Amino acid sequence: MASADTIVKKILLAEDDPDDVSFFFQYLSERPDLVLLPPVENGEEVVEYLQKAHNGTFPDLIILDQNMPKCNGLQTLAILKNNTQYEKIPVFVYSTYTDAYLVKKSIQLGARSVLEKPFSVEGYHKMIDDILELI
Amino acid sequence: MDRNVQQKNDLMRELEETRRQLYEAKETIEAIRTGQVDALVVQKGSTHQLYTLKTADHTYRIFIEKMTEGALTLSQQGIILYANTRFGEMIGMPLSAIIGLPFEQFIAKENIPFYKTLFKTSWAGDCKGEVEIYYNGKHTPVQLSLTVLELDEGLSLSIIITDLTLQKTTQRKLQENNRQLELLNHTLESSNHDLQEPLRKIHMFSNLLKKKATDILGQEEIAYLEKIISSTNRMKALIVDILNYSRLSAIDGEFLPTNLNYVLKELLEDFELLIADKKGKIDYKDLPVLEVNRGQIRQVFQNLISNSLKFSKEGVAPVIEINSVILAEKSFTSKEDDKGDFCLLTIEDNGIGFDEKYATTVFSLFQRLHPKDSFEGTGIGLSIAKKIIEKHQGLIQVTSTPGVGTKFMIILPIKQS
Repeated sequence: MASADTIVKKILLAEDDPDDVSFFFQYLSERPDLVLLPPVENGEEVVEYLQKAHNGTFPDLIILDQNMPKCNGLQTLAILKNNTQYEKIPVFVYSTYTDAYLVKKSIQLGARSVLEKPFSVEGYHKMIDDILELI
Repeated sequence: MDRNVQQKNDLMRELEETRRQLYEAKETIEAIRTGQVDALVVQKGSTHQLYTLKTADHTYRIFIEKMTEGALTLSQQGIILYANTRFGEMIGMPLSAIIGLPFEQFIAKENIPFYKTLFKTSWAGDCKGEVEIYYNGKHTPVQLSLTVLELDEGLSLSIIITDLTLQKTTQRKLQENNRQLELLNHTLESSNHDLQEPLRKIHMFSNLLKKKATDILGQEEIAYLEKIISSTNRMKALIVDILNYSRLSAIDGEFLPTNLNYVLKELLEDFELLIADKKGKIDYKDLPVLEVNRGQIRQVFQNLISNSLKFSKEGVAPVIEINSVILAEKSFTSKEDDKGDFCLLTIEDNGIGFDEKYATTVFSLFQRLHPKDSFEGTGIGLSIAKKIIEKHQGLIQVTSTPGVGTKFMIILPIKQS
């Protein structure tokens, strides 16, 4: 029970669609090794969250939805990687449809990987496993 | 003796007369041919018949008057010496008013420098150029064809004027159509993406519902949920396929000389598990090198082989044979010719086959010959194959016998021009 923080990975999700947030919660509720931090809705809120975060609430990885208002996935990615404080956090971009442009641009800007939003619960399982392998 | 001498003299006189007539006839023909004679009077029994000749010049005049191009003759100073009716119509002026005017007067201002250059150059050799004729507010895009003419009066320039209005309109329409097509493609792609989002949610929520409600719902209700879920799966497959199909119009990959044996080898390696699973056997030998888009041709083979494996007979191991010959012509009835420009590929299987009356409809988009549940797939594979073959300027056909097998025949040019 002690050092729960070191075993459990904290995921920061930037997602504006409440249904998608709900899917994530549903899935992660079955994974004791992962915890979903309070979700944010766009890039601005990601930065705000990080500024206020402390050791216990700092994410181990960030998942960015590409289609967010105000500041989308790619834009947020650029901001994070330009900031010495946050550039080391592994960032993943995900989207309903991933085309060659999105993949190329994301990798260029420093994302660890680009993922397609899963179509099923098994899909979420696979996506999370793939992510954990990459960090 | 006297009678023989008499006969001989008579014959000599006749010969003399015949020779004279022949000479006169030859002279007359020569005179006609060189135009020295305008008319002939021929005696026929008791009557005289007058024959006049149409001179070549006259025939040409009619020809030039009747043709659909404008024609002009210009002096060395660029003055119009002659114009045909069609040219008069082009500018909307009577011929009598045109003759004597400089042709430059009828050229659009922006084109005058170009026309002047064209005029100067044409005296040294034939040339062509595009300008705009402008007179009385009427603009006409035309092509000028200039040639030097040697007339009795001296050197002059003949100009044939072709009206390009129709051509230009058609070109513009084509460009507009292309632009709209691209826009449509783009819209299709966007719509596709937009469709995936709600589809995903239906799928996810249905699955979550099924999971949570298994204990509460009865068998029938669970079955309904499963129908919803499988429909969403099918819809996803359709969306992906439509996207691939529409992408074929947009992207034009390069045509490169490709060794089909390697393409097939790769494909069979990727399909190894599926083929082994079905206990299938795919034979191919000595396939040629063709100028094709490697990825697309691979897709064609993939779709056909996948079909053959899918529609195999129950309990019978599928055997697929791929052969090739070189044809003289681009036709399924063409003779074979080692030096020909076209290749015929045949992909033949021993599967369940189908009624040949469907031989053309199988290539239609989403056309299926079996109920949705019997065989997986959206039915788009053959449409994609056909589209790819057409993009390669090829032909595709299929023959089949129910219970025996199916044979696909593809003709491809060895080189793309």
